[in-house]
Amino acid sequence: MGIIILLLFVAFVVCMLVLKKTNVAYENFQRCKRGNVYIENADELIRREKIVKVVRYIICYAFLAALALFMILPFYWMIITSLKTEVEISLVKPTFFPKEFAWENYKYILNIKNYQIETSGSIRFNLWRLMYNTLVVGFFSTLGTLVTTVMAAFAFSRIKFAGREIIFTLFLATMMIPGEMMVISNYITVVKYMRGIDTYWSMIVPFLISVYYIYLLRQNFKQIPDELYYAAKVDGTSNFKYLLKIMIPIAMPTLITITILKLMGSWNAYVWPTMVTQSEDMRLISNGLRNSFSDSEGRSTQGRQMAAATAVLAPLLIMFIFLRRYIMRGVSRSGIKG
Amino acid sequence: MDIRLVNLTKIFADKHSEVRAVDNLDITIPSGKLIGLLGPSGCGKSTTLYMIAGLLEPTSGQIFFGDEDVTVLSAEKRGIGLVFQNYALYPHMTVKQNIIFPLQNMHISKTEALARTQKYARLVGIEELLDRKPKQLSGGQQQRVAIARALVKEPKVLLLDEPLSNLDARLRLQTREEIKRIQRETGITTVFVTHDQEEAMSISDEIVVMKSGVEQQKGRPQNVYENPINQFVAKFLGTPPINIFAGKVQDGGLYIGEERIGDSNLENQEVTVGIRPEGFEISPEGTLTINIQHIEHIGRDKSIVATNPYTEKETFRFIVDSDNNVFENTNVKVLVKSNKCYVFDKLTEKRLQ
Amino acid sequence: MVEGKKSVNFLRGILYLSPALILMAIFTFYPLFNTFIISFKEEYNYMTGKYAEWGFANYAKLFASGNIFRTCLVNTLVIVFVSVPLSIGLSLLIAVALNSIKPLQKFFQTIFFLPYVTNTIAIGMVFSVIFESHQGLANAIITEFGGNMINWLGGNIQATTIGKGFLDPNNAIFTPQWLTSMIVLMVYIIWNSLPFKILILLSALQGIDRQYYQAAQVDGTSKLRIFSKITVPLLSPQIFYLLITSFIGAFKEYTSVVAIFGNNAQSVGQRNNMATVVWYIYKKTKEGGTTMGYAAAGAVVLFVIIMFFTLINSIISKKRVHY
Repeated sequence: MGIIILLLFVAFVVCMLVLKKTNVAYENFQRCKRGNVYIENADELIRREKIVKVVRYIICYAFLAALALFMILPFYWMIITSLKTEVEISLVKPTFFPKEFAWENYKYILNIKNYQIETSGSIRFNLWRLMYNTLVVGFFSTLGTLVTTVMAAFAFSRIKFAGREIIFTLFLATMMIPGEMMVISNYITVVKYMRGIDTYWSMIVPFLISVYYIYLLRQNFKQIPDELYYAAKVDGTSNFKYLLKIMIPIAMPTLITITILKLMGSWNAYVWPTMVTQSEDMRLISNGLRNSFSDSEGRSTQGRQMAAATAVLAPLLIMFIFLRRYIMRGVSRSGIKG
Repeated sequence: MDIRLVNLTKIFADKHSEVRAVDNLDITIPSGKLIGLLGPSGCGKSTTLYMIAGLLEPTSGQIFFGDEDVTVLSAEKRGIGLVFQNYALYPHMTVKQNIIFPLQNMHISKTEALARTQKYARLVGIEELLDRKPKQLSGGQQQRVAIARALVKEPKVLLLDEPLSNLDARLRLQTREEIKRIQRETGITTVFVTHDQEEAMSISDEIVVMKSGVEQQKGRPQNVYENPINQFVAKFLGTPPINIFAGKVQDGGLYIGEERIGDSNLENQEVTVGIRPEGFEISPEGTLTINIQHIEHIGRDKSIVATNPYTEKETFRFIVDSDNNVFENTNVKVLVKSNKCYVFDKLTEKRLQ
Repeated sequence: MVEGKKSVNFLRGILYLSPALILMAIFTFYPLFNTFIISFKEEYNYMTGKYAEWGFANYAKLFASGNIFRTCLVNTLVIVFVSVPLSIGLSLLIAVALNSIKPLQKFFQTIFFLPYVTNTIAIGMVFSVIFESHQGLANAIITEFGGNMINWLGGNIQATTIGKGFLDPNNAIFTPQWLTSMIVLMVYIIWNSLPFKILILLSALQGIDRQYYQAAQVDGTSKLRIFSKITVPLLSPQIFYLLITSFIGAFKEYTSVVAIFGNNAQSVGQRNNMATVVWYIYKKTKEGGTTMGYAAAGAVVLFVIIMFFTLINSIISKKRVHY
């Protein structure tokens, strides 16, 4: 795979160099004296130009297609492998398409059973329990984050008070600090002082705040003209009602983006939940997935592994299909200078 | 080298609609002249310029540079210099790097490139700004840099897209003189696009007036002004604009309302009468009765806002010498100068007399 | 702006900020200082709060020979300096290519964004299946073209081992096996980080005024020169932003390692040979007993390194970035 990409890369560069050569014609006519007929062989030039254009398009599309293949190949291989039988997986020469669809891996993954330990000694992947945990944590941490974010963004964008800029700068500065600095002490705080091992709230409370989302929403709030506020004041609207009835509806697209990103974050949370959970019953989905297949059991469980991975990815992919616009907008905005 | 546009047409089409931006344009641009493409926004003048530049491909028709058909030749091979409306100076390069950039593309030796850069920087008067970034320059200075960048290749054709629209009024006057001077000194065939008739008239050797993609009239600016071919051209040229009245021709006389303002050899019909602001003379023997609403003193002239029941708009404006004694809110009689008065067909808006 | 007396507005502001302030104080500001303090406490037991003495003992032990932390640091630096330039270069090429086509642009854009919406653990497991040393997809493709299988993640004695020439198989960590495992990890990290970069660069590219390109075209600029002299400089704010964020991200690489190599971060046969700095921090945090000090010291080292690179980046950017 890497070699193919490298070859394409080289081809791309070579093509760029070839394009450089075609400028020779232009140089020639530049050297002619003014007033002379200076475009010789216009037909020839036009023909060559067309060829170069076509070649360039072909290379461009080939380059993109090859990389696009590289991008979706893991998804393809995951689904294909999950549908193969154990026998087919252990073939010396792997097949690129299952000979027959085997649903046994999915039957195993989707089956609800209460035991955690397989007969082989490894931890059983308990999809429904893990999903339930993740949804509980995701729902409450998203809700809480929205509340803190909206309130903080309102204060930072609309209320003028002493120290506002200092606090905001302080908040922003923490975005530069690696989270690992906090995780160690937070672990002590939650485990020792709050006795939060194996509780939902220990996975929710520390993540009820996000400086980045506050920043995002503040920028959005700031764009709302002051006149709207004065108009609401004249009509006798209170600050809180103004926030609720006017600012939040206007900033709805941003709030939806925040909600989606936060939910995706919970779905993918791995580090912290691993630290504060011990019982397999309290794991979130990423931990459960990792722990269930962690010991090298060889190729025999590949099918189940891939079925589990597919089951974990499916909700994300469904969300992506329906909410692509919001996700891409939220992500691309982070690259634009505020 | 002259430029010929033959039946040039550009259609912008998408799923829902089709717009004829340029429609069967036939123009010859003589060598070494400064030509203004003039028209209201959306009349296809910029599209025409971009097709000459090679940035847009015509839907049909041909473009000739001299004897060569360059219709589908790409921009860089046409040997043109183009100055964009917002100059398109590369923001990350200094003025010098901006000007020298085209020369580096042509692999011209460094010493020659530097010498040319100096030469054209001097020509447009920005020698002392060479090490600045575009952001540190005023609009007028940026404009000069853009012109220098276009000229440094020593192209056969210089194209300017709304060259003055981003400048303030004072700079505009100054810069248009500058463009004229540079064009004279280099003798380069120049086409520029503008929606400002005053700008076009003041510096062009010839102007082409366009409307909805169709050429209306072409000629020396004064000629076009004095002999507009239709009502659109008459209205588009001149400040204050021409005054339009509903009139009629009856038995060899030209009437506005029931007042005979001149003679006409046309058949009896309803017509539109256009009178330039300088075409009125206050006189006791006047033929047209007007009511003076408001008088503005502008130096040696008086600009008078007046009403007449047959004007197109509620009021109209004309200019007389300041030694005329007139008062607001009075009726006066005016004479209409026949060489400043045009008669147009009421429906086709074509010039009849 | 909300009107009102200064004192009233201050109370109002603090009221609206209070949830954020309280959470930030407990879970961000306090731990930040606490971690610094812990890193200087020797043999700190977090349950009892007892420690032997103040000093740099934790730091000294981190860098002592034989400590796994050295491996972690080397691995992390390798990840940073290989994956970041590669992924930024590749995403730049893809973004430019995407921007130059019209039909299918949206389609490709969606595909290239797809890996952003994934679960790092799940896809990491897929990658370890793809690079399985016997008949994973990667080896299947190689053998299809007549090559010999490569011993990607170890465990296949018949397969080719890359890097035998310059890496000593008897080295404690940096064996040929380490090299192939690192390649797999790198491919995964780049695959994972491309979508974000492509999206950022593409939306920046689409924001560049077309007239710059038209001006360049009229001047006969070659595509290569347009790319290097116009596109890249005009994208420099975004490239710089990506550089900083991906440097930080690569220094904190952890989940992808665990996803492919398991909780022990090891490819077959070698203990913790794929471990990263963050892996070390979490491992020592969870071990309990008196290892918390090492975790804290490791976190402070990471913090200092990231600050250092961010500083260097911003100094360079002052000269190079055109806003």
